[in-house]
Amino acid sequence: MKGARRLAAVDKAARAAGLYTGQKVTDAMALVPELVTAEGEPEADAAALTALVDWAVRFSPAVAPDAPDGLFLDIAGVSHLWGGEAELMADFRARLAANGLHFRCAIADTPGAAWALAHHGKGMEIIAPPNGQADLLAYLPPAALRLEPQAAAQMERLGLRLLFQIIGLPRAPLARRFGKQTLIRLDQAMGRADEALTFRRPPHPWFARLAFFEPISALEDLQRVSFDVSAKLCARLEQEGQGAKRFVIAFHRLDGKAFPLAIGLSLAGRDPTRIAKLLAPKLETVDPGFGIDVVTLEAEGVEPVSGRQVRLDTGAEAAVEDGLAPLVDRLTNRLGEGRVWKSVPVASHVPEQSTRHAAPLKAVMGAGWNPEAPRPLRLFRQPEPLENVMALTPDDPPRQFQWRKRVHRVLQAEGPERIGAEWWRADIDKVSISHVRDYYRVEDQEGARFWVFREGLYSADAETRWWLHGVFG
Amino acid sequence: MSGFRDDRLAALKAKIATLEAGGRADSESLPFGAPEIDDCFLGGGLALGQWHEFTGAGMEVETAASPAAFAALVAAPLARRGEAVWVLRRDDLFAPGLAGLGFPAERLIQVCARDEAEALAITEDALATIGVAAVFAEVEAVDLTAGRRLQLACEKRGSTGFVIRRRPYGGQERKSASGSAAATRWKIAPAASEPGPGEFGLGPPRWRVELERCRGGRTGAWLMEAQTAFTWEAGHGPYPLRLVPELGDRQLAPAEPIRLSA
Repeated sequence: MKGARRLAAVDKAARAAGLYTGQKVTDAMALVPELVTAEGEPEADAAALTALVDWAVRFSPAVAPDAPDGLFLDIAGVSHLWGGEAELMADFRARLAANGLHFRCAIADTPGAAWALAHHGKGMEIIAPPNGQADLLAYLPPAALRLEPQAAAQMERLGLRLLFQIIGLPRAPLARRFGKQTLIRLDQAMGRADEALTFRRPPHPWFARLAFFEPISALEDLQRVSFDVSAKLCARLEQEGQGAKRFVIAFHRLDGKAFPLAIGLSLAGRDPTRIAKLLAPKLETVDPGFGIDVVTLEAEGVEPVSGRQVRLDTGAEAAVEDGLAPLVDRLTNRLGEGRVWKSVPVASHVPEQSTRHAAPLKAVMGAGWNPEAPRPLRLFRQPEPLENVMALTPDDPPRQFQWRKRVHRVLQAEGPERIGAEWWRADIDKVSISHVRDYYRVEDQEGARFWVFREGLYSADAETRWWLHGVFG
Repeated sequence: MSGFRDDRLAALKAKIATLEAGGRADSESLPFGAPEIDDCFLGGGLALGQWHEFTGAGMEVETAASPAAFAALVAAPLARRGEAVWVLRRDDLFAPGLAGLGFPAERLIQVCARDEAEALAITEDALATIGVAAVFAEVEAVDLTAGRRLQLACEKRGSTGFVIRRRPYGGQERKSASGSAAATRWKIAPAASEPGPGEFGLGPPRWRVELERCRGGRTGAWLMEAQTAFTWEAGHGPYPLRLVPELGDRQLAPAEPIRLSA
């Protein structure tokens, strides 16, 4: 039953036809053959709810999402701005309706009671008078208490259909029979227990700014302020257990122009000395003009960094954060992104495609290269043509060849290792036997070992072409 | 009298050795596993915390494949212990080839420098980094000043440098400095391989290895073989290189010493 596709939501017409949320799609199709279904997108729904929560801040600063399809608004002390609770609710609903969203709203003393009235109450707008939620809740079903499914089903079985039946029951047996959670929910709705809502927290930009009384222009000053502004931002990063992978510093000149400089870190970090050190060589490119009066630093790629960065003694086992990561950062920032890498295996028979450049600190997992297939130590990016190749028969390894104006006599040879193009990557009509290579490992009279290949299969009317693809050590 | 002199001599030699190791008394070494070679070095193996120079001859001056392969094999036990950095000026090092020799290529960090000075500066920087055990540098030449700087960087954290001399393609030969700060200088040339009995094709790769200079030790020349290269055992043994005994004709070598009857 687990894998069955179920209806996640139904519209008004579908509900009229007798469909309900949680029904199996096959059952629904049997009932309504012309049913149109669309795949549920829980992630998109969650993103939309987050956007809605952000928007609802115009009514109250304390907004909490209630996944999957609701939100709580704490309107204590703000309703008078609209002239009363009713006016606030009317404005809220009107603005939502203008965006095509038809919400059921309820105002009550407690979030629990408001939730119950909004989901199970009669009417689209319900305002419970202060301390009056008990009367309104009395004729709602137990599900209005946000109970766990088992507890709700148990109540249904025992004939407890309405809340007033439950409210009157002795508390101890109620907790024992339906669980403590039931009692907590009941108390929360009635205002006897507090409920903590997870209110939305506005994103706070990772940004630091320093302004100066007197404009600065000397290089040493730039170095100093770049450290100061890094220290300011890093203190905040450390407080919240975060680190960033990219820092952009901007020097704002008196004439309004800004000079942004960026550095990247291979591992997210928050060490101001390191950041300042990486920035230092780039400061020379800043043209201070008549002076710089503001410096800003922005952190990008912020992610949690566990723990405080510790320094180890030279004798102890070195951590990546201590030695290698700063080295990689220095090199990457000095040479550029593509000049520091780690070769990682790619599952491909084609030699030039069997490795890929990856980030230098990336952990390599999985199978490596097959050591039994001999590969040269140096692989030329472009195979180099061989001249004056002599072979006994066309499909023999060469006996002699000329490369870079030097003649090599082959004494020993091994092969062929036939490597074909990856035909499944291209169109079927582009596949041809000319994309087959026969690789030989050959050794010349001095012992030098080469990796040569013949292009294509032998045919009488085409000239055989030989290439050198790499040299073994 | 002579016993006293020997003691003095031994004490002085030990003092020189500590001075050369940059004040570290616990200078480690990387043995080859063959007494013929290990006896040439002061510490019974290639000294760590120093830098070593590998050159090629002929075609290898520009491709530097044999020196690179030999240096990688020598340093393979080191690279398995810590991080390894390979500084290149031309991006043609092929990681599967290194892996086939038994070098842990999937952990190697490669850096491509734009010019000679930058390559040397990066090498120095990498040598002085915590956690880096071996740094390979493909450079044209190391003059005395640069060599001294490399040596100081090596001594900082005890990491070992492997300088592979390589001339850019089509470059003019530069007059190499007569002196060098390298602990050892090696000349590596490829040698004809010998397939095992009953096998055909190429045998395990072999090199003619010449130890041209060895500070505080002796020089020598040997034929060496990477016996596990291009097999699944590559990189598993304690010594990646094997000394091939030099005989006039190995096929005819007597299995047992001839004993004369009494």
